[in-house]
Amino acid sequence: MRKTCLIIASLLASFTANAAPNPEMIVVCYPGGVVNAKDANGAMSAMLRVVERVGQWQANSFNSLFTAKSDECRQQMAEKKPKFAITSLGLYLELRSQHNLVPVVQPKIKGHTSERYRVMVQKDKYRSLDDLKGKTLGGTVLEEQTYIGKIVFVGKYDLARFFVLKKSNQAIRALRALDKGELDAVILNAQQFGGLASLHLEKPLAAVFTSEEIPLMGVVANSATTTAEERTRFSKALEGMCADTEGKKLCDLFGVEAFAAVDPAVFEPMVKLWDKGS
Amino acid sequence: MRHTRFFAAVSMLALLAGCAGLHRGQVRFDRLSDCPQQTADELFAKQSQLGPSSDTHTLECALTVLRDSQDIALLRTSLGSRLCLHLAERETHTEKREKLATEGVDLAETALTHKGEDEGAVHYYLAANLGLAVRDHITVAMKNLGRLESEMKQALALSPDIDDGGPMRLLGALYLKAPSWPNGIGDLDKALELLEKAVNKHPGHPLNHLFYAQALWTEGDEAVLTQVKAEFAQGEKLLAEGDWGHNKAAWQKEFDAFRQELGGVMPVRQ
Repeated sequence: MRKTCLIIASLLASFTANAAPNPEMIVVCYPGGVVNAKDANGAMSAMLRVVERVGQWQANSFNSLFTAKSDECRQQMAEKKPKFAITSLGLYLELRSQHNLVPVVQPKIKGHTSERYRVMVQKDKYRSLDDLKGKTLGGTVLEEQTYIGKIVFVGKYDLARFFVLKKSNQAIRALRALDKGELDAVILNAQQFGGLASLHLEKPLAAVFTSEEIPLMGVVANSATTTAEERTRFSKALEGMCADTEGKKLCDLFGVEAFAAVDPAVFEPMVKLWDKGS
Repeated sequence: MRHTRFFAAVSMLALLAGCAGLHRGQVRFDRLSDCPQQTADELFAKQSQLGPSSDTHTLECALTVLRDSQDIALLRTSLGSRLCLHLAERETHTEKREKLATEGVDLAETALTHKGEDEGAVHYYLAANLGLAVRDHITVAMKNLGRLESEMKQALALSPDIDDGGPMRLLGALYLKAPSWPNGIGDLDKALELLEKAVNKHPGHPLNHLFYAQALWTEGDEAVLTQVKAEFAQGEKLLAEGDWGHNKAAWQKEFDAFRQELGGVMPVRQ
């Protein structure tokens, strides 16, 4: 999901002026991002126009509301009660019961619909995660501490007690701090890990922890306010997006090969892990 | 996406290919029969007088002379690109604005092939026009981010002080607004460094203060809120008191938009 959020979040300009009279609101949550809502909605607008065309909805049938803050996301989900939303996996797991959320589509990136998280340190400075007890840990994904603790670390670590957490809204800043020795470790998602080579840091880095495969989150729907037909239609439209001429440009730009219909079984282990830690 | 020099015809072609998606075609102007008779030499001599305070008809007349000119001395200057930028910034019709800005890019590229003395300014106006041409087209904008950065860096290296620190201001704003790593070239640390420098070296330009305030605000640190307010207020004061010609109204909109983003933090403008 983070990648999907990034697609949306990276581009982002308000498009409320050309919205249809009663557009369906889609809440977009991108916890930990540095993007602002004004910028973010531009990308959503471009995506939604393609989705509407591919899914044969009237133009401007959908509108979006973007936030990079978890608390604001919870509030908007409660207030707007959207039929569809784009959330992180953490927010889906947390809000799924309250809002009857079911996953609809997942992004496929480099052939995968899942990702691994990694804890990076200066090479040879620390050998294992246990060496980092009481040390500083930074990263954008720490905006969702509960999710990182329960899902990424499989409930084995109480983050706030084990580490000294240094939340950041800029991955590059956290990595520069790691390079200078101002942070002991940084936790990265797969996309951030994949971008490390472009940074030209002075000190070589090494991973002291690599998570299990964790499914990428995409679009979720409220199963109480949408019909199976509506969910299928939305799913099909997104599945067709990367094959559409305009849609492909957006997909290519952010390295998403396709959107794939969700196999609900993929998320069951995540739900169990989440509930286990409750 | 990056770093091409533009001297030879071959690299020129590569460059144009790199700007795929731009809206090309000359915008036709009205009342050209009212334009004064001007030669390329006369236009060359008065180029420094053409700017934000010039009326639109004067700029259109000047651009028309330049469009028809084969005078290398004139074509190698940044004038053509600068005229296009001023006209594009005033144009409310989107397609016309994009065509004017794209023409500004093309004229800058022509100037670079002739290697003029104000190469830094040419890169600067090329970047400014390119930014304007692509700003409403997400995929085109994203594809041109590297080109924008490259042009601005060259402008910064060659002529850091033109337009009251324009290259610093523009590059800083690009790092502030572009998608951040690993998705794009956006980099808040670089933006803060450049915009602070722009404010310190060129404290008289309102946008230097506005963009620096925006960068500080993006930092999201409550501790710098006082500084955000101070930079914003200083920029708005400079805008209100200075002679910024036709730029004034557009820049005021920028200030107003940021005031709205700040919400209750800033007092409402009277």
